[in-house]
Amino acid sequence: MTEERIRELLRDADRAAGPPSFGRVTADGIQRRIRRRRLVWIAAPVAAAAMVLLAFRLWGIDARNTPPAPEQRQQIASLEEQVERLQAQTDATLRLVQGVLAEQRQQQRLAALEAELASIPDPLAELEKQTDKTAFVLVYQADRLYRELNQTDSAVEAYEQVIRLFPQNQWAEVARKRLAEIKKQKIEESKTEGDSKCGLQNA
Amino acid sequence: MAAMAKISEEQVLAERFRRGENSAFDRIVERYAADVAALANRLLGWPQDVDDVVQDVFVAAFRGLRDFRGDCRLRTWLFTITVNCCRHYRRRYLRHARWIRRNENAPSLCLSEDAQIVAIDAERFSRVRQAVRALPTKYREVVVLRYLQGLETAEICRLLTITANALNVRLNRARERLKGDLNELLKEES
Repeated sequence: MTEERIRELLRDADRAAGPPSFGRVTADGIQRRIRRRRLVWIAAPVAAAAMVLLAFRLWGIDARNTPPAPEQRQQIASLEEQVERLQAQTDATLRLVQGVLAEQRQQQRLAALEAELASIPDPLAELEKQTDKTAFVLVYQADRLYRELNQTDSAVEAYEQVIRLFPQNQWAEVARKRLAEIKKQKIEESKTEGDSKCGLQNA
Repeated sequence: MAAMAKISEEQVLAERFRRGENSAFDRIVERYAADVAALANRLLGWPQDVDDVVQDVFVAAFRGLRDFRGDCRLRTWLFTITVNCCRHYRRRYLRHARWIRRNENAPSLCLSEDAQIVAIDAERFSRVRQAVRALPTKYREVVVLRYLQGLETAEICRLLTITANALNVRLNRARERLKGDLNELLKEES
């Protein structure tokens, strides 16, 4: 049997078997397949871990259900006692820690409140500041009326308003001074007017 | 010259895929899917339905194509993946393959004269295929690649990462086994 005969036989047998069948392969299909496999690779270990945990839990329940021997019972009783003692110690420590933590939290809250209070300005001082500012603005406007615009009557009104509204303020004192000045000026003006009238009559 | 053009076209396709063009991969699949399916079918012992293996081969190709350096032809590279996938499949689905073998050996029904000739031929080829299936993996692979795929020695050596000497030894041994298995058939023929 020659190599050529083997080749022929194999090719005929292969031809007789017919072509294989397979589904359509696309890049998108391959990507979907890869994603699906990745999901399975993640899900499988998680499911296995869950099964193991469940088995342990069931085994634990089963072990608890079987009745122990007298020696074991004693051991279990002493162990349970130890566990209870440890549990009590743990509870006491836990309570202490919780108390300390609560106190710390309270102190922190107090400090925060104090800081907040310190940041709020004194309302009286603030009011005084605002009053002072308003009085100054009124006096300043009255000064402009009197000196720059020569509207003496309006200026007098504004000065009087300052004195009426803010009698204790420093700007009320300024307004009083200005009013006195205006009065003095008016008297002088009326004097000079009277003198000039008399001069004219004499002449 | 044609081979050179083919290689450069393969490299262009691989490069296009590396740049994220999925259509390049579709083109590669279109060109090589039939070859890959035929090889898988032969390596797995003609089960006919090789959809899973073909899908797995192209999944591996999709993952690895970005690292394909172009040291060999794309077809050789895909055949290497196919050989590895088939090894994996044979290990995994050995029972399934046995079931197929049993089914193929099932006794035939009563047939007419013409149909009997066809049936005799079918029986003959079935025995040939059976003989190939019975070969150990390393012999079956070289037989399929050399006689059915018609690959050159250098390409088979690269694909299976073996030396030319090892390939010749495997081919000789495979032939000896096939001769032993098909002896009766040849005597009947003569």
